[in-house]
Formats: sequence, C-alpha cells, structure tokens
Amino acid sequence: MTWFSKSTTTFGFLLLAHACYSAYEHSALQSHRAASLSSLSATTQQAAASSSLPLDISLETIVATVIITLGLVLNTTKLRPIQWRVWAGQIERAGEEGARNSSGEVDKDFVGNPFKLLESRPGFVDIRKQRKEFAEWVKQQ
Amino acid sequence: MTSSLLRPPGHLSPATALQLSQQAPIIIKNSPGAVTASALSSLFSAPETPELWTIYENLLLSCLRTGDEESAHLCLGRLVNRFGDDNERVMALIGLMKEADAKDDATLEVVLKEYEALLQENPTNIPIVKRRVALLRSIGRISDAVTALTGLLDFSPTDSEAWSELSDIYFSQGLYSQAIFALEEVLVLQPNAWNIYARIGELLLMSVKSGSGDQNDSAKQLGEALKRFCRSIELCDDYLRGYYGLKLTTTQLLNDPPKPSKQAESDGLAPPNLSTLQKLDGLATEKLGEITRRFTAGEKGWQGYEEAEIVAAKELLEKSSSTTVR
Repeated sequence: MTWFSKSTTTFGFLLLAHACYSAYEHSALQSHRAASLSSLSATTQQAAASSSLPLDISLETIVATVIITLGLVLNTTKLRPIQWRVWAGQIERAGEEGARNSSGEVDKDFVGNPFKLLESRPGFVDIRKQRKEFAEWVKQQ
Repeated sequence: MTSSLLRPPGHLSPATALQLSQQAPIIIKNSPGAVTASALSSLFSAPETPELWTIYENLLLSCLRTGDEESAHLCLGRLVNRFGDDNERVMALIGLMKEADAKDDATLEVVLKEYEALLQENPTNIPIVKRRVALLRSIGRISDAVTALTGLLDFSPTDSEAWSELSDIYFSQGLYSQAIFALEEVLVLQPNAWNIYARIGELLLMSVKSGSGDQNDSAKQLGEALKRFCRSIELCDDYLRGYYGLKLTTTQLLNDPPKPSKQAESDGLAPPNLSTLQKLDGLATEKLGEITRRFTAGEKGWQGYEEAEIVAAKELLEKSSSTTVR
C-alpha cells in the first residue's frame, strides 16, 4: 500500500509543478504579447480578457490537488479502534505488536492493559519475595 | 526495550527482568545523570522528559529484583538528586532499597521503625503507608497489615490499588467474601477494568470449590461468576482469561446443576436456563479453540497471550472433549 500511495503523491506533485510552470509560462507570454501589442496601439480591453488562465491549466491544478490529497490520505497509519471492547481486545490479542507504528517501533504512549497495575500493584511490591523467586529461577537455569 | 521500561516491571518474567537489568549500566551511562536548573545550560543539553525518571524508577525495581545493587544505587542516587530525599515517592524507593538490602529480621524491624517515624511526621504519606503494609505482609504480620491498610482506605477511599491489595490479602487468608467485596470497591472506581471482572469471577469459583457455604449459596455464586465472566468478555474481545473462566463455570453448572432456589431467583442471580448455558459453553469452547489455534499457528496479531495461559486453555479443552466423548 505504501508504494502505491507514495507514487500517487509523487505523481500529484509532478502534475502540480507542471500546472504551476504552465501558468508561469502563460503569464510571461501574455505580458510579452501585451507589451508588443501596446506598441502597436492595440486596445487594452483585449489584453485583459486574454490574461485569464486557460481552462486546462486550472483543471490540471485541481486534479493535481485531489491526487496529492488522495495519496497522503492513503499513506496515513491505521486508525486506532474507538470501541472499548475492540481496543481492549487488541491489547490482549496482539500485545505490543498491535501498537507498532509504520516504522516498526512501539508507540511511546502504549501502556498495555492499564488495569494490570491493579493486579501487579507496584506500590505494594514485596521486593524480598521477588528476589527470592528470581534467585530460584536463576538456579533452575 | 524502552517501552517495557516505561511500565512498572512487577509482572515481567524473570528472563525479561534479567535482560533489563543487564542493560542497566549502558542505559545509565547513556542517560543524563542530572538536569540543570540554569536556563543557559539547559539550552545546550537535551530536554528533560518525564519518561527519563520513569525509566530510572523501573530500572531500579528491575535491578533490585535481580540483585544488581550497584546499578540500583546509581538509579536511586539520580532520583534523589533530582527530586530530593523528602519527596514522598523517593522516600518509598529509599525504603524499598533498605528492605532489599536487609539481611535479617532485625534490620527489617529497623526499617519498619523508620517507616513509623516518617508516618509520625506526616500520617498521610501514602507511598510510605503502602510500603509499611507491604513490609508487614512480607514479614508475616498479616493482621497488622490489614489494620494499616484499612486505615489507609479510611482516609483515601478512592485508592483502587489499595483496595485491590486488601482483596489479595483477604484472599491469601481464605476470606473469599471479604476479598470479593474489596474487588467490588475497585469496580466502583474502575468500572471498565475487564481483568478485575474476571478476577471476581475466579474468586467466586474458588469460593464455590472450597465448599464454604451451603447449596443455595453456591448456586448464587456460580450464577454471579457467570455474569462476571460474561461482563469481562463484553468489555474485551478475545479475552482468554474471561473465556477460560466462562468455560469452567458453564461446565460446572451443566455437570452439576444446582437446585433452583427462591432466594437466588428473587435476587436476579439465578443461573440462566439450560439452553443458554449450552450456548455459552459452546461459545467459550469455540473461542478458546480459535485463540489457541491462532496462537500456536503463529498468526500475526495473536501473539500477545502468555504461553502458560494458552497451555492451560488447551488442557481444559482436551479434558472437556474427552468427557463429552465418554
């Protein structure tokens, strides 16, 4: 999906750059023509009418904007669940894997099951028991 | 790696704790030891983040657990430097360090006396009150621990961690109804805690199995356990613990249906009828099967369960299928 959205965005930017360049070229040409026409005492009315952008450049700009937007929207990370049971289920089912962002790192604000603290209770930790259990585990290894 | 350091390490496996504490010297070396208060030098140093101090605290706990006292002292030193030794949380950590260093019961008594002296100065120092309860429980003075804990809950009744600890102490003494009551208080404070619902269901099941109370009582308790497990599943999709408990409860209710009693029905806690029970049983079996299958198949997004829980679920499924065949 990422290569698709990236190429879409790049294509959109190319179109937009092309439209900008065309608009610049068009206005340069117009001013050049206006300058040469005024020396031939042409009417200023005609120059004003032809200085508006042609339809194809405007259309190209709009299409480019839509394509860029589409590419950027496709590139967003997966939305997080907003239903409680789905969110909780994801934590239980996938653990840390579920909270990885596109670059493969676990999100900083990922806390796992926030209610696990009610069962591990860090404020009441019995450090001597933990040490004993750990020493036994080391012996078994 | 750092993500597990941002959470309290109490529930980690010994292997993970060992791994964390082995990384401790590197983390300590690479992290800033102190953050200066002067504006000029703070321009050039890395910004201070709350995560830094959480990491130090959790690293301290892991190091104490694995017996790496040198790193633990370094972590504590930095915390004391930053927050001062009159910070309540740091005071509790200092006490924890002394407890871990204590070689005999006499030293522990001294630590206990220190806690009491601190509480004389400030009776509402909650981290120290909690340490005192934990120490009393650790040296076997259970009734003193309960008294201290109920004292804490008297002036701070919204502390769900303390209610949960009280429930655990009662449970260790076999006082199921008190333990369940304390957990119900936790639910009042944290109404969405799915693991607490499952825990209450487990306590109810254990209290039925232990055979305290008469026939009427156990029917009521089984009905309530069923509801608790169903609620935990409602709050959390694919909750292995909830489905496991549901399966145990429905099996018990189907194999040994309690006589319907008037009192339970009037309370609305009577177990549901046979067809509902069978449907629930089928659902639990199906879900447990799905979870164990997908976990063992190594499917992505299903690896968050604990190995031991999966093994237990498999055993339960095998047992129930063998009894059905017979």
